[in-house]
Amino acid sequence: MRRVLRLCLTFLSLVTSAVSAQEPQTREEADRQRREQQAKEATAYKPNGLEKALDFAEDRAIFLLDREGFHPKLGSLTTGSGFAYGVGFRDRDLFSNRGALEIWAAGSIKRYWATEARMTFPRLANNHLHLEAWGSRRDYPQENFFGLGPDSNRDDRSDYAIRTDHFGGRAGVRPVAHLLVGGGMEYLKPRLGAGQNDRYPDVPVVFPPSDVPGIDSRSDFMRSSAFAEVDYREPIYAKKGGWYRFDFSHYDDRTTDQFTFNRFDADVRQFFGFLAGRRVIALRLAASTSDTDAGQTMPFFFMPTLGGNDTLRGFREYRFRGPHAILAQGEYRWEIWSGFDGALFYDAGKVADTRSELNFKDLESDYGVGFRFNTNNGVMFRVDAAFGSNDGNHLYIVVGGVF
Amino acid sequence: MVTTSISWSAVFSRAAAAGVLVLFALVLPQSASPRFYPDDPLWTDNDRVADASKVTSVEDSNSYDFVINTLGDPGERRDVRALNVNTVDEVPDSSWFTNRIGRTPMSVEAIRRGPDRADRVNVAGWKVSGGKSAGVQPGFRMTDAEGQIYQIEVDPSSNPEIASGAEIIGTAFYHAMGYNVVDVYPAEIDREALVIADGATIRDPLNGRRRQMKKYDLDNVFNRAARLKNGHYRVLVSRFASGTPLGNFRYYSRRPDDPNDLVLHEHRRELRGARIFGAWLNHDDSRGINSLDMLERTNGRAWVRHYMFDFGSILGSGTIFAQRHRSGNEYIYEQKPGWLTMATLGLYVRPWITIDYPDVPKSVGRLEAERFDPVKWKPEYPNAAFANVRPDDAFWAARIVSKFSDAAIRAVVEKAEYTDPAATDFLAKTIIARRDKVVAAFINQVCPVVDTTLSADGTLSFTNAAVDAKAATAPERYELTWFRFDNATDQRTTAGDVMRVSTGSARMPNGLAGDFIGVSITAVHAQQPGWTNPSTFFFRRAASGWTLVGVERGAVTAPVLRG
Repeated sequence: MRRVLRLCLTFLSLVTSAVSAQEPQTREEADRQRREQQAKEATAYKPNGLEKALDFAEDRAIFLLDREGFHPKLGSLTTGSGFAYGVGFRDRDLFSNRGALEIWAAGSIKRYWATEARMTFPRLANNHLHLEAWGSRRDYPQENFFGLGPDSNRDDRSDYAIRTDHFGGRAGVRPVAHLLVGGGMEYLKPRLGAGQNDRYPDVPVVFPPSDVPGIDSRSDFMRSSAFAEVDYREPIYAKKGGWYRFDFSHYDDRTTDQFTFNRFDADVRQFFGFLAGRRVIALRLAASTSDTDAGQTMPFFFMPTLGGNDTLRGFREYRFRGPHAILAQGEYRWEIWSGFDGALFYDAGKVADTRSELNFKDLESDYGVGFRFNTNNGVMFRVDAAFGSNDGNHLYIVVGGVF
Repeated sequence: MVTTSISWSAVFSRAAAAGVLVLFALVLPQSASPRFYPDDPLWTDNDRVADASKVTSVEDSNSYDFVINTLGDPGERRDVRALNVNTVDEVPDSSWFTNRIGRTPMSVEAIRRGPDRADRVNVAGWKVSGGKSAGVQPGFRMTDAEGQIYQIEVDPSSNPEIASGAEIIGTAFYHAMGYNVVDVYPAEIDREALVIADGATIRDPLNGRRRQMKKYDLDNVFNRAARLKNGHYRVLVSRFASGTPLGNFRYYSRRPDDPNDLVLHEHRRELRGARIFGAWLNHDDSRGINSLDMLERTNGRAWVRHYMFDFGSILGSGTIFAQRHRSGNEYIYEQKPGWLTMATLGLYVRPWITIDYPDVPKSVGRLEAERFDPVKWKPEYPNAAFANVRPDDAFWAARIVSKFSDAAIRAVVEKAEYTDPAATDFLAKTIIARRDKVVAAFINQVCPVVDTTLSADGTLSFTNAAVDAKAATAPERYELTWFRFDNATDQRTTAGDVMRVSTGSARMPNGLAGDFIGVSITAVHAQQPGWTNPSTFFFRRAASGWTLVGVERGAVTAPVLRG
């Protein structure tokens, strides 16, 4: 009976509410009733998890790498260092926003580490003058060495450690748009030691000291340099234009007067965009040559090298080393989606014992395919797979671009 | 063996419940609403009636808006008539939209003026009151002597006048269409005369923290700005909207905390129609984060006004560079062409890559009309309201577009005050050419009969919007199907045979009577297959004759009985 009673009460309440909610007689009244009902049901907006995460990423995390003050330092320290991570501090608000200070220290998964303090004044004299000063220590414990010259043997792989202190400064003047000329001074204090990679012998185990100039050196160097740079790429991750740099350096052995030498580097990069810039042919030609006065020798650790993710990609890091080197690279880049490109590449180059051998004969070469995540300002991240060399296939996952 | 026991009390209870339901059904008044209320058609949607003071800000991030619309499928995607139109298939005035050129002729001067309260503004004496909070265009805020805040934005040095020109043009057009927009003015600023107000703050671009604004913050803006020959800078001055900012609206769903927001945004006619306007003016940046909601108060009640915002990236402008080739042709992320391009190592060439954009002043950017296909046009990423566009929505918008005369378009472009007359001329011609394509593409998807009247003596008159807009020639004939209409049951009863006429005039069949009658019209035209998509008109008997009370464009959605 209780159930029947409850049913009757339900019936009465339904009838009462139905009669009280009068049927609207006009459209305006109908809409007003709907809004009154909605006002009763209104709830506060609650963002979902994805929304919260992306909001946070955009609002805060995006500043993580580029933020002022303390920030994580991620990337690589040098070719072959492996992924590095550390901490940095920056202040880009010095002298009324004219100067910037950056200090960082980082170590890599292969136990490379480095620390650096750098102060830059990039926009002095109405953007015509660029000043820079730095001090750093770089400790690279397992650098590859296969011998000098083009005929070095891959089976002679050995390693060495090098720790270098740098203190220097540089000034650049921009007399006209796209052109930067300048020079600088840098004090270098390289110290060599036994390689830390247990899988390979130390350099002196494989090579006699006479074949490796500078292996026993404890010299300090003063490097004085002059450079000219032309940059008319559009944009920086270029679809057209060019970037050319010419660098002359004099290395003065301040300790033993045995390793004084001159080095000249030229790097010419040209970009040809077509199909609305969605396809780009990128070409690079780089050459390095050196000379010494009588009785002087160029230490091996200042010689140009080829091999690794940004030169001859079909060869392991520093596979070739010599007093002279030439490198030609070509890439065909095609845009797949905005910010994501594919690339087919071909690299060729060699090192030479003499300048007269610095030509396009008997070049080592490789080819491959890659993908790049990019912005107009450069490649953030790339994957390159290289084939076609006599040094095996190589896969690179790299923070940063090639050229 | 199965045994069954019967509970007589349970049987009695069930019988009682059934009885209650039957009684309820009999006693309750009929709940079905009539198709037409006495006050139809409503031309004002009073969406300020409920107090919305508890509404909170919803400010989407760029990345969320992109991800949810590109990889998600937000909103309701279904083929349903827009839910906020009145019974004559028009958008009533509301906090979203005000009928302007679509309903009443506007003078060229009124279109050109747009929302502006003044002819010009002079920023001399104003103070810099803060940094700019969002967007890629460099800028800051200034406050005038009365305390009104304005946003100041500069053009990129690579493309002088490009973003400010686009913003001025877009604002005038979208205002005339009917959207809420803010006043914008071109002005000239002397960098050296700027004064930063005490207490002016900026969100540091390097770390996101709010701090006091400094002189070099202005340097950072002007270092990227196009400079005039006299050393000053042309800037865009945008008046801040009244009220309290509530972030942006979305092109899908509703604000759950706004009692006045009844209709899912993806089913709002003016948001669906924005896809057509976007195609016309290449507003590929028409997305939620480029909208603005403001909380206003009237008579002590709070309500939300919805603005279209940020037209700096329309036409050929990409705000800080010339518009990209992809703009309007492909979403930022679109699977099929991307995979094809990847798999073929770039041998597959997307069609838009081969568009040969005309060589025009840098203030114009990248725009063209020759290869422009309004049907295939796309914004930066998918948009739920745009995905729901039906022929009736497209017709509504195309008809509005058709009302912008050549003279009006030229006047709006001239308002941007481009230094190079070639820029003005090119833009005006291109917008006119794109208008013609948009109108031709969308006004002909349904039978374009409009301005339909039924006189007391039974004479039906109508015009053809497509013919009037020169988007089509006259049809071979019109075919009219008359019917009686039962407003309570929504049923139509056909009266007589199909009537065929060659002009916009016909006689109602003899003997057709009732409180509501209607006529469904199609047209026969060899080049316009969309004209077989009927437009149906409903008339209510009034003391002086017949009043148009309903318009339905497209297939019949209610049962039709043969008479």
